[in-house]
Amino acid sequence: MRYLKLRYEDRDRLFEALRKYGEIYGPVKISKKTYDFRKVSRFDDMDLNYVRTISPPKKFVYPPHEVMFEIDREKGKVSIPEEDMGPIVLFGLHHCDIEGLKRLDSVFMGYPADFYYSRRRKHLFIVGYDCKPDEFCACNVTHTSFSTDGFDIFLHPLPDGWLVRVLSERGQALADEIGMEDASTDDFKAFERYQEERRQGFKWDMDAYVLRGVLEMHRHSDVWEELSEECLACGNCNTTCPTCRCYEVRDIPSIDGVHAIQERVWDSCQFEHHALVAGGHNFRPTVADRMKNRYNCKISPAYGTNLSYCVGCGRCTAFCPAGINFWENLQKLSEVSKHAK
Amino acid sequence: MPNNNPLQPKKAVIKKVFKVTPTEKMFVISFVDPKDQEEFERNYTRPARFVQVNLPGIGEVPISLCSPPTQKGFFALTIRRVGRVTTVIHNLNEGDYVWIRGPYGNGFPIDEWKGRDLLFLSAGLGMAPLRSVFLYALDNRWDYGNITLINSARTKRDLLYYEELEAIARTYKGDGVKVIQTVTREEVEGVCKGRCHLYIPQANVDPKNSVVIMCGPPRMYQSIFDEVIARGFDPDYIYATFERRMRCGIGKCGHCNVGSSDSMLYVCKDGPVFSYRQVQRYPELME
Repeated sequence: MRYLKLRYEDRDRLFEALRKYGEIYGPVKISKKTYDFRKVSRFDDMDLNYVRTISPPKKFVYPPHEVMFEIDREKGKVSIPEEDMGPIVLFGLHHCDIEGLKRLDSVFMGYPADFYYSRRRKHLFIVGYDCKPDEFCACNVTHTSFSTDGFDIFLHPLPDGWLVRVLSERGQALADEIGMEDASTDDFKAFERYQEERRQGFKWDMDAYVLRGVLEMHRHSDVWEELSEECLACGNCNTTCPTCRCYEVRDIPSIDGVHAIQERVWDSCQFEHHALVAGGHNFRPTVADRMKNRYNCKISPAYGTNLSYCVGCGRCTAFCPAGINFWENLQKLSEVSKHAK
Repeated sequence: MPNNNPLQPKKAVIKKVFKVTPTEKMFVISFVDPKDQEEFERNYTRPARFVQVNLPGIGEVPISLCSPPTQKGFFALTIRRVGRVTTVIHNLNEGDYVWIRGPYGNGFPIDEWKGRDLLFLSAGLGMAPLRSVFLYALDNRWDYGNITLINSARTKRDLLYYEELEAIARTYKGDGVKVIQTVTREEVEGVCKGRCHLYIPQANVDPKNSVVIMCGPPRMYQSIFDEVIARGFDPDYIYATFERRMRCGIGKCGHCNVGSSDSMLYVCKDGPVFSYRQVQRYPELME
């Protein structure tokens, strides 16, 4: 990895140079309180001091609706639709979102690799951007507070520009094209200061590995009934989660009865039908069961790794309509298990 | 069109339909493209894996294979009419097309059982996946010791493969193969009365050196675990199959997850066959 410096006044040159890697999507303020990744045409259109966007970047590689097969029943053909996505630059992803994409990679690119995810994923050029946490952020808990891979370049704010960590080969070419200079000792000091301020900002003092044990201890406990009292089972935590990946498959026939599509749509483990099988048996019939499943799933290690699916972005808490606080609940559970001994 | 999409279903044709019980039919199916059939046979080595049956424009369902890997050129599925897709499947006839992908799941670890006696316990539709294991064991008769199969259902007409199993019992008489068929809700001639675990004492297997293989509603598992362990069966050789909602079959769609925060299993990928030791490790399986 190279550590370079981009001056503040060179930001438009970076933006112009990025265009050849695809359409640029960056964080934009879309309402009084919320941000989202939208297509941007100028550097200054982006609001890089955002904390979190409402929807995670998973929508670019794993869209809410994906047509898997186009069906012609008369000809007896089941074919895969053409690719509908070109190269994309995702600008301003925080550490948590980069880690979130890595978790999705571990699931969807693990053997056997998902065809649709893989063909979208190769189009991404990722520009990371450093951030300061707010009260819902907990990437320190999930060991995702500093990404060392999973991006092409990463920008860290300095008083007069950015410290740029250049990782990928495409990133190296980009850095050469703009002619970024090497970072100086003063820049590193400013970078360290920024990191120190970040560390001070974290509110939650827990550890995901320890939480695994805590959740194990509550495997058969009644505490879930209590925690889920407020839960509306709306599935908002799933749609805003950067690593939630459950999908439902549905067939939609056209009115002519000949053509049909089979598509996959985001599903939610909070919905009643999630574990319902034919014949009417539901393996997770209550909201408490489903909440327990979600908490366990999020803290469990991602496929082929020892890192939790949860990346500590805080979206499930920030956007919960019932105001359920994921971290507060986990802390409560930790305390209950402390008293237990 | 060849592609590397693991979710791509392959065209297959229904060769034969048998009405097994009033609600269950057995479909004998083979792939239209011989290459697909070959690939299927290459991947179907352990019995009781499952396939996804896809009816384009209607939906997709996971169904256990009830034919053993030793039968080549076709495979068989026993399907209960229970939902939207299975109702449509039930209306299909010989010569109709279905789309299949798979096989998925782990299947029973039959190679680890060589030299052991086998005790099969089945309740209701559980006989469908067990048929593939039972027939596999018969086809490799020299690898296994005595075999007892206890098939149970509510009534005699609900007993899956009643005639076939009776015929097998006659054929293998004196060869250490015993078939006990029992019903729980009626008293009729020709079959025993009561749940399947009542007939474990009549099995011709040596508890110390046998494998217990069961399939049925999860409700029955705990009592059978307790029963067979009390009778001295080796807890390391007890296997059961489990069911969950499955959409993809390859551990991506997330519906069939079981477990807790230290590790999650996907029943479609890590199952549907689990050993008693795994059930102890993942009590959520029994929910």
